[in-house]
Amino acid sequence: MTAHKSLAVQRGILGALLLIGLWEGVARGFALPAYVLPAMSDVLLGVWSKRAMLAEAAAYTLTEALLGYGLGALVGIGLAVALTLVPRARGVVVTAVTAVNSVPVVAYSPLILLWCGIGLASKVVMVALAVSFTLFLSTLAGLDRVDRRSIDLMRSFGAGRLALLWRLRLPTALPLILAGLRVSTVRSIIVAIVTEMLGAYGGLGWVIYQAVLQIDFVQVWSAIVVASAASLLFFGLVGLAERRLLFWKAS
Amino acid sequence: MSAALAASPPAAPRAAGLARRIGLRVAALLAVALAWEGLVILFGIRPFYLPRLSAVLAAILATPGAYAAGFLRTLTETLIGFVTGGAFGVAVAVAFLRCRTLREMVFPLFVVSQTIPVIAFGALVVLWFGNTLMAKAVIAFYLTFFPVTVNALIGLESVDPRQIALMRSFGASPRQILTRLQLPSALPQTFVALRLAASLSLVGAIVGEWFGDTTGLGVLLLQAMYNENVVAIWAALLVSALLGTGFYAAVAFLERRLVFWGAEQ
Amino acid sequence: MLKRRHLLAALAAVMLAGPAAAAEPVKASLRLKWLPQAQFAGFYVAAQKGYYKAEGIDLTINPGGPNLLAENLVATGADTFGLSGGSDSVLAARDKGLPVVCIGVSHQVTPFVFVTRKDGAVKTLQDFKGRTVTTWFTGANHVLNAILAKEGIQPGEVKIQPQQVSVTPFVDGAVDVATATYYNELYAIQSRMGKETLRTFVAEDYGVTFPRDTLIVSETTLKDKPELVKGFLRASIRGWRDAFADPKAAVDTVMAIAPTLDRAHQEFMLAEVKRLMTAGAAKEKGLFAIDPAAIAKAHDLLLQAKVIGKPVDLTSAFESRPLDALSSADRQL
Repeated sequence: MTAHKSLAVQRGILGALLLIGLWEGVARGFALPAYVLPAMSDVLLGVWSKRAMLAEAAAYTLTEALLGYGLGALVGIGLAVALTLVPRARGVVVTAVTAVNSVPVVAYSPLILLWCGIGLASKVVMVALAVSFTLFLSTLAGLDRVDRRSIDLMRSFGAGRLALLWRLRLPTALPLILAGLRVSTVRSIIVAIVTEMLGAYGGLGWVIYQAVLQIDFVQVWSAIVVASAASLLFFGLVGLAERRLLFWKAS
Repeated sequence: MSAALAASPPAAPRAAGLARRIGLRVAALLAVALAWEGLVILFGIRPFYLPRLSAVLAAILATPGAYAAGFLRTLTETLIGFVTGGAFGVAVAVAFLRCRTLREMVFPLFVVSQTIPVIAFGALVVLWFGNTLMAKAVIAFYLTFFPVTVNALIGLESVDPRQIALMRSFGASPRQILTRLQLPSALPQTFVALRLAASLSLVGAIVGEWFGDTTGLGVLLLQAMYNENVVAIWAALLVSALLGTGFYAAVAFLERRLVFWGAEQ
Repeated sequence: MLKRRHLLAALAAVMLAGPAAAAEPVKASLRLKWLPQAQFAGFYVAAQKGYYKAEGIDLTINPGGPNLLAENLVATGADTFGLSGGSDSVLAARDKGLPVVCIGVSHQVTPFVFVTRKDGAVKTLQDFKGRTVTTWFTGANHVLNAILAKEGIQPGEVKIQPQQVSVTPFVDGAVDVATATYYNELYAIQSRMGKETLRTFVAEDYGVTFPRDTLIVSETTLKDKPELVKGFLRASIRGWRDAFADPKAAVDTVMAIAPTLDRAHQEFMLAEVKRLMTAGAAKEKGLFAIDPAAIAKAHDLLLQAKVIGKPVDLTSAFESRPLDALSSADRQL
């Protein structure tokens, strides 16, 4: 198992190297100008030479993404949990959420930008909007997975609604909630960047926007590389936490 | 397909159930519409935040052609991106299933590709594909294929090896095993991703339209935002919601028809 | 490299053979700097009335959008012509080695002003010190810095923030000074606050001119297809002439393409654009005239602001010959 795992890692690295080589070869071989496709080496050099500015922008974007992520997770999970305590409200709330969710999240950005301005708030709201939908739906699905008989059993021991929730429903729902949290990581950063590109005071999306207008395509790609790395890091960290929390599943 | 029809419940009660469901939906919609209009008047909400529904509808009716053309255009881009993305996603899943080395080399790259904010290279897509429908469809495709690949692969791998061995012992070719056993078994999982892809492809089409276009719901949204016309934003949102719901419902309907034996949840 | 040269040679052959082989119209496209609106009315009018067709050009008008740069699309050949940002974006493109050339300037004077409340604390440029000023970081910020510098104010003394999307922060009083184009933001601000309540600062009053909305073409097109360039200019000027002569019909043409626009705003926009396009050098030389003095001023300003790293050769970046080759009847309003 471990032997194959390391082989898989090697192949993954090989794949990445091949892509980078192909990219470099195409860009250099055809002498493509930077505004078509800059060479990978130039992009990496660009990341290094602008590291201070890119780090600052990444920190700005990550702040927005993390705040929105936390808020969205809280609202999404909270709403789903509340619904199991007040089952009667379920029909109305699920219908309303589905209706709001039927509009693609990015389509709300014009409205949110007008309402909240181009500062931090609009990005946090947009990210929270995107994350809360995902988490509401996955938490609800997770809470529903509980076996009817387990509920009856615990009830027969005199467990109340809250005890049922804490002891039974939440642990059962945890894998799906964590999966939702993991999927939302990448999304939160992308939504923050997309919103920044329509209007912001800073962040990676703002850097990309400015670089496009200043015809600095090495910088565009440098910012994309940093954004991608930040997303992978966030994704990896939440994935790690997930494996720690779900230790019983791994064994 | 004939099996699907045979397995469906008798038509009459189904039609009645459908009529009731549609009736309920319409009633709910009317309630929301009334609540929207009523709450805005009651609380005197500024139109900057939420204009009255009647004002939004009036805006749509003032230039119905623009919204209809935008709807159709965005729908076309969404459909092209969705269909090609779905087909490519399944094809890649099959290729990954067949060739482990390919999977281990390419799959991580696909994961990385999904962390790239698509809007960042929208300008490049226009460079490469011009100002065509294709440029938008490509972005929709890019957002769509990966979830489909992931889920189709899970579905393909969950096929019981004993069943494959059984078919092989009857002399079935790998192709027959794929079309008769593996793909049908992967269908329920694949459709879960396709439902997600339905909304993602719409996102792709709308974002794609932010890179210079004349028609489309994304164009209407952008134009309304820069003119600070909140009524027009809501009008475009409403039409987007119609498109989103309709498309999602169509995919879900297809799922119920095709995956009669074991739809998820 | 060799392959590219072959490709270019083949392309050139096709181009040369093109018009001679048949009288079929040449396909070309114009990339605008923004979404369809009356700011571009003349081009839409010329297309609708078949003026490009009459010149043997089958023209597609492609709108712009956020994150799109006309210079980039014209340099790569994705679009033939571009109505790009302005002298600033042309110079930046040349500085970065993009093979684009400006063949005409649309807005002869700075198309934006800095606006503040009349009853507010800002009465003169000196009062900008310590205030919150929002502007676009796409050229307007350099104009702002330049006029502040003329008054001896350092950029650090003013809180300058990016401005995008909305004038609401200014209307709500969260911002002391905002930047506004005569045809868009100023209209929005005036219609929300009233014209009398505002004080504007005009760059020209401080000796700064920033010509914007430039017509650009790639070096290759300029060299290989001079007739196409001339035909495009002639037809465009005809379209603008008609648009100015009958603004109502011109707005109709634009609104047929973007029906959700606000008619009153578009009529206002066209009137303002007319003023900007017929000012300065255009008064004598006609529409799209390139004023070397104004360009040189803008160039020095951008060089000082380090937007361009080194001096740009203005004679190769701005090319008046196609315009000068038109008869004076074709150029005058």
